[in-house]
Amino acid sequence: MKQLIQIGLVILLGSVGASSAFAASEKDDMEQFARGAQKWSNTCMRCHNMRDPQEFSDQEWRPVIMHMRIRAGLTGQDAEDILAFMQKSNN
Amino acid sequence: MKVKISPLKKLILMGAVLPLGVVSANEITQQEFTQLKSDILQLKKDKSRRSVAHLSGYGSVGYSDTEDNDGSFSQLQFAPIFHYQIDDRIMLEAELEIEDEDSGETEVKLEYLTIDVVLGNNAILVAGKFLSPIGQFRQNIHPSWINKLPSAPPGFGHGGAAPVSETGAQVRGGFYLSNQQFNYAVYYGNGPQIDVEVETEAGESEEIEIHDVENEGFISDLNGEKSWGGRLGWLPLPKVEIGLSYMGGQADTEFVLLSGGVETEVKESSDITVYGADFVAQVDSFTLRGEYIKQELDHVGAGGLETGSPEWKTFYLQGSYRFSGTGWEAVTRYTDFDSPKDSSDVTQWALGVNYLITENAMVKVAYEVNDGERDSAADKNKALVQLAYGF
Repeated sequence: MKQLIQIGLVILLGSVGASSAFAASEKDDMEQFARGAQKWSNTCMRCHNMRDPQEFSDQEWRPVIMHMRIRAGLTGQDAEDILAFMQKSNN
Repeated sequence: MKVKISPLKKLILMGAVLPLGVVSANEITQQEFTQLKSDILQLKKDKSRRSVAHLSGYGSVGYSDTEDNDGSFSQLQFAPIFHYQIDDRIMLEAELEIEDEDSGETEVKLEYLTIDVVLGNNAILVAGKFLSPIGQFRQNIHPSWINKLPSAPPGFGHGGAAPVSETGAQVRGGFYLSNQQFNYAVYYGNGPQIDVEVETEAGESEEIEIHDVENEGFISDLNGEKSWGGRLGWLPLPKVEIGLSYMGGQADTEFVLLSGGVETEVKESSDITVYGADFVAQVDSFTLRGEYIKQELDHVGAGGLETGSPEWKTFYLQGSYRFSGTGWEAVTRYTDFDSPKDSSDVTQWALGVNYLITENAMVKVAYEVNDGERDSAADKNKALVQLAYGF
């Protein structure tokens, strides 16, 4: 019985902890996605037409965004946000 | 009863049950949970460290018809760009410029080759041969799938007013100051070379004439004196950018002087200064961009002969409009290029219509009205058609 209560408590704590961790993580992801979309819209069009996120895979977008970070003079954080947006939009 | 679970199975189990918010408590304690979570994050981090090779670039084909000449299919250009990213901190990138010449031969040039190392959130080291950060056109707008006209504005090509490339080291990046966005680039490199011609008569050098300054990323530095420069960009609004550029240093040259029939090899240098200002502004489907570059050279003197102090100036203003919901785009550009060589000077109006097949593939049709020295090549009007594709 004691063991059962312990198991129940651990399940409860684990569930709550994991749920809030994932909820916070999801919120962070959504905020980064929104920032990335905004930066993508503002930055890329200053020089060229918008490229379709589906043109490249998650891995291919990494060097492309690194290249654009250098060309456009982006901060590392801005480049990461745009990369996250492209990777989440290419499915 | 206790069931032994291997660490790998624990990891798989955690991966499977965590999304549901359910954790089996039989064997996984809170400490193990924290450890496994850390392991998963580490695995995710490791994924971003995988190296990746990527081929990008652009190509274009075209037809041009110059006043008083027969038209021809021309402008064959292929510019592959290689990216090899070792992890999220280091990348090698290189662009080749492959073009067919009038003679039928194919010319291959290294447009740039750099190894880029991330120094932090605000800085990247770019070492090798890189596109000049002076102004915007050369570093960002010149690829045929980006440039909205089939030609570069006069003064922004080889032998013009705007530097093309440099070999050395560059630090560039972006930062925010009082919520305002800025970008910057500073570099130190070998510097340009001066193309001179020595006129000789009866075994004596009579005059030294400067043809142009070649800012093309030389891997040699004749006098050991370097050049430096950079650009600061400010974005007062999200779709508005204003930039100022500067380059200073020494340009080198070597030539042969003839005196009494005896040849003497001479290496000389001259102070060089380049100033630039550029801007771009976007309102809905309308884009306005402009750029001014002025290059000044001090004199070249040797053996009692001395050149003047030439300067090159170019300025363009370009407006383009994308018709909403269509692939049609209209563009016009005014350029005024002034150099020491009168036959190169030109005032140009270019008018164009583009059809975007996709966002990175387009057909461009343009007509250039050129006003240069009478009967010079720069004075001839030109019609151009170009199919450009960026990949």
